[in-house]
Amino acid sequence: MPGIDECLSGAMTIAGARAASLVDWGSGLALGSLGDSPAGEYETAAAEATDLVRAAVESQTFTAAEERRAPLEDIIVTAGRSYHLIRFIDTVFDSRLVLHLWLDRDEGNLAAARFRLRALAEDLVLG
Amino acid sequence: MTTAPAPPVEDVSGAAAVSADTAATGTEDVPPTPRTPGEALDLLAVRHATGALHGPLGSLYLVDGQVVAADSDRAPGLVDLLTGCGRTTPEGWDGLLREHGPSGRVGEVLVERRLLTRGELELGHLGTLFDAAFFVLADPAGGTWRFEADARHWLGPVAEVEPDRLRREVERRRRLLDGIWPWPQLDTEPVRPAAHSRLPAHRASGRRRRELLDHADGRRTPADLARLLGRSGFGVTADVRRLAAAGLLDLPRHTTPDVPAEAGRAEADPAEADPARPGRPEPSAEPADRSGLHRRIPGATLRGPGLRTAATTTRATTTRATATPATAARATTTPATAAAHPPLAVPDPDIALLTRVRDLLEARL
Repeated sequence: MPGIDECLSGAMTIAGARAASLVDWGSGLALGSLGDSPAGEYETAAAEATDLVRAAVESQTFTAAEERRAPLEDIIVTAGRSYHLIRFIDTVFDSRLVLHLWLDRDEGNLAAARFRLRALAEDLVLG
Repeated sequence: MTTAPAPPVEDVSGAAAVSADTAATGTEDVPPTPRTPGEALDLLAVRHATGALHGPLGSLYLVDGQVVAADSDRAPGLVDLLTGCGRTTPEGWDGLLREHGPSGRVGEVLVERRLLTRGELELGHLGTLFDAAFFVLADPAGGTWRFEADARHWLGPVAEVEPDRLRREVERRRRLLDGIWPWPQLDTEPVRPAAHSRLPAHRASGRRRRELLDHADGRRTPADLARLLGRSGFGVTADVRRLAAAGLLDLPRHTTPDVPAEAGRAEADPAEADPARPGRPEPSAEPADRSGLHRRIPGATLRGPGLRTAATTTRATTTRATATPATAARATTTPATAAAHPPLAVPDPDIALLTRVRDLLEARL
């Protein structure tokens, strides 16, 4: 049965993975991290990912037409050298958690990585 | 390492009790007397202590110097999360606690009985641990602290946190709150929505904050609301401060906020440590001098004499110029208005909203 460490190790096995982090975007805390931090340290990366997530979650534009309980699934940022996948985790109790995966663009496959990250996020809470 | 809040006098005696107790756990060197709960925690970590550190707002449990659990009345615990979502009933939980609490196996049994998966247990545990630890350690009120050697938490081993990491996180959260709206009184007073917060034009941004407003009946404190909604205490506290910053709450009476030297900025970049941040001025009963930058029409949110301070400070915070002489000097070194942030700096939606609310209110006068 996977815990946080297994989930993050699993994320790091995704092709092209450079870093994986489990972030509580209610507070900006990284509950766990593996790999190189894109921002030098995990705490900064978690805080900055939190800002991005909050901006999306609190906007009418991205959430108004969606289900109330879990309006967003992923936030994906593509850049010249990287992909960033942010996957929302839906727990039975109230929590505000995302899995943040930083991928090397040359080595990674966005579609496959998204599929795999989704499975990891589900395994973490469904067991 | 970030600075800890200034220790109130009571802390010294309380923390001395801590060092006296930990001396009994078996180190021969002379124990340095910790001056703050944070220092006491560090000392316990160095000594690989096992037991519970009890403070006025809750307890931290250590095993071999690592923090393994935290409880606080101000933060919903694992039980609130589980009963809130219907995974267990209060009676079921009490039975579980009675049966497996003394042996410290509750966490294990929750997974065995499939009430939680291992991942959920870890997520819920770490979330509630950091949440409770924030209230326990960031409490500025002082009071007596004591260490109960060899006390064990009923949950049992799930995940542990280094005390140093916990202290940094508590300090980061404290700065984050002050960056949103530096008014700690909001954290303990009943949350009272302002009358105009019901108007569609003043809707709070974000579903979670709207829900919070809907459940704020003028009697519930942030801690009550957190428990009611099964949310983290810190999350609700931060949202309450955001609502206050957006002008959607009637603010507690007879209080003055601390000066928001970095309001907006700190939230935009919460990870940036700012140990050099100047000490905050003593709250004054009443702002003395209103001359200064960007005079506003007084009383935009005024409802009565008791709220005069609140209205004044709302205005003062918006303009980042404050009325107290102690802070007049700093106003020259910080941007004069929240809106004066360079456009490329991460804009704080709360400050932007606050500015809009202010402009709307002024337009009506």
